[in-house]
Amino acid sequence: MNQAFIRVSGLKKYYQMGGTTVRALDGVDLEIEPHSFTVVMGPSGSGKSTLLYLLGGLDRATAGEIWVDGQSLNEVDENSLALFRRRTIGFVFQSFNLIPSMTARENVAFPMQFAGVNPRRRDEQADFLLKQVGLGDRALHRPTELSGGQQQRVAIARALVNDPKLILADEPTGNLDTASGAAIMQLLSDLHRSGRTVLVVTHDTRMMRFATRQIYLLDGRVVSEAEYQSAVLEVAQPS
Amino acid sequence: MRFFDLLRLIFGNLSRRKARVALTAIGVVIGTAAVVILVSLAIGLQRNANEQLYGIGDLTQIQVMPSFGEGPVMVGPGGGGGGGGGSSQTKLLTNQALEELRAIPGVEWVSPREFLWSGGMVRYRKLEGWANIIGVDVKDLADLGFETVQGDTALGRTTIVVGPMVANNFYDPRLRPGQEPPPPPDLYDQQIQFIISKWDAQGNETRKNLSLRVTGVLKETRGESDWTIYMPLEQVKALNEWSQNRRINYNKEGYSQVIVKVRDVNQVLDIADQITEMGYQAYTPQSFVQGINNFYIILQVIFGGVGAIALLVAAIGIANTMAMSILERTREIGLMKAVGATNRDVLAIFLGEASGIGFIGGLGGVIIGWLAGQVINVMAVVYLSNQAGQQGGIPPSVAVYTPIWLPVFALVFSTLIGMLSGLYPALRAATMIPVLALKYE
Repeated sequence: MNQAFIRVSGLKKYYQMGGTTVRALDGVDLEIEPHSFTVVMGPSGSGKSTLLYLLGGLDRATAGEIWVDGQSLNEVDENSLALFRRRTIGFVFQSFNLIPSMTARENVAFPMQFAGVNPRRRDEQADFLLKQVGLGDRALHRPTELSGGQQQRVAIARALVNDPKLILADEPTGNLDTASGAAIMQLLSDLHRSGRTVLVVTHDTRMMRFATRQIYLLDGRVVSEAEYQSAVLEVAQPS
Repeated sequence: MRFFDLLRLIFGNLSRRKARVALTAIGVVIGTAAVVILVSLAIGLQRNANEQLYGIGDLTQIQVMPSFGEGPVMVGPGGGGGGGGGSSQTKLLTNQALEELRAIPGVEWVSPREFLWSGGMVRYRKLEGWANIIGVDVKDLADLGFETVQGDTALGRTTIVVGPMVANNFYDPRLRPGQEPPPPPDLYDQQIQFIISKWDAQGNETRKNLSLRVTGVLKETRGESDWTIYMPLEQVKALNEWSQNRRINYNKEGYSQVIVKVRDVNQVLDIADQITEMGYQAYTPQSFVQGINNFYIILQVIFGGVGAIALLVAAIGIANTMAMSILERTREIGLMKAVGATNRDVLAIFLGEASGIGFIGGLGGVIIGWLAGQVINVMAVVYLSNQAGQQGGIPPSVAVYTPIWLPVFALVFSTLIGMLSGLYPALRAATMIPVLALKYE
């Protein structure tokens, strides 16, 4: 009975910060089906980014279990975790994280170097993906010569380059203007429709339109929509 | 990750920060140049010393002399190299002993030599002189490794080959005080009178007069041969028998000296030891040369060490640059890990960058060190040959000598230093927790 693409149980992540323990995630249980578009909503400090990084194998949990695509992330060594990130995950970050000295094509092709793909194949694949995200004519531009929306599209092309099953996006529209943000959302939605599992962490309520599933996080716990709304409203009420 | 991709990435990363890489590499340039120059200087000094030393003789030859032990000298059948003699026993260089010496592995040839026991006077026109006369057991001195500047090395019954300094031994016996001595004669192809004397019990002198033609003048070796007149062994034996008035049995009395030629210069000391153990006296300049060489090797190590201190300082510079660079590129490291770089990939990239700085610096240092060596050479050789000219010595051919292994070694060493100093920063980069690296501000 393991239909879920992602399964999380009793997930906890604590940080030590200046002598106090911060409970970023405090017992999260989740199941996410394959080919879904999941949006994780939550205020700052709710632990939503922490969840995303744990799912992507960029960090290790304090307690609990994570299964992604049938693989447990708890008991693997650093090397296997790197291979997991390489083969299964495509990351999209709020601040794009493009390498400034590289062209768009080189940035997109960058992950394939670690996979040992030959240079010609890398360039072909990068050009193909850049065309897909609508930047076919920008392959030789450096990040500084591109707009924010274009940079994020390069980053999405890079996330796709190893053909991952799961796209993890951390506030992908956070640094973008409304129009560029909408375009990025559309792009992520297209990826979902092409069969990939997409998980987006965001504040941006417009993202809800594309979601097949919403998860609300408050103080490191998954809560219902009603609970979330009332908590958010409570904060919003002037006292 | 493919090796070529790794190289390209490293090169790309280094060329992103040209100024900083160049400044860091300058430290390595200075260190490597210092190592190359100083070690070259030490090697140059050694070469000079060896050039002077080669005068003491062919380093692959061992002079073997009989041992007369500590007890009373016994000349008899037992002394001829029969068995069981310790070093305290008399060991003579009989024909049997020659066979023993020939049997030592690594010995190329064994050649007995005999001195003329009685004094011999040489006369050329009105000049007289004394000469050291040695009989050798070869038809041609070339077999003993000699070369001539005039004539050839072949020996005959009425011909002799002389050392280049023999002419300087001639003087004019009728020269009055204050008179300018005549210049040394050119002996080549000249007839020389050779007079040996013997006295009987009553003190009556008998003289024997030989007329010999000089058919060869040897090249200078700065050794014994420069002052020696060479004759065939048989002739010296005959003259010795004449002056002693008796037949000499070499199987019983042995030769006064045997030259043992060794195939490989590295075996000389071993074989000399073996000969000593057999009970003979063995003398080789090699032991002396070895001592001198050891001194120069120590000198090379000390000089190299001075240069290495400069390299050590440069290494700290590399470590610093790499540590800074890793701080600045923390997010990039996070990204590399996020897109699937393993810890080993990250380690390789940063170690490669550090090695790259070492290599670039090393390359610069080798080039500068070599060029500086050439400049020093030109200046020093001119100066030293002036000095030598004034003092009548032999001018050195080089002051600084850079053997091919030195730049190669220096380059490998500087690259290795770069790699070592990059180890700590690179390990830190490789073991960063990806999420912390990505969030680093």
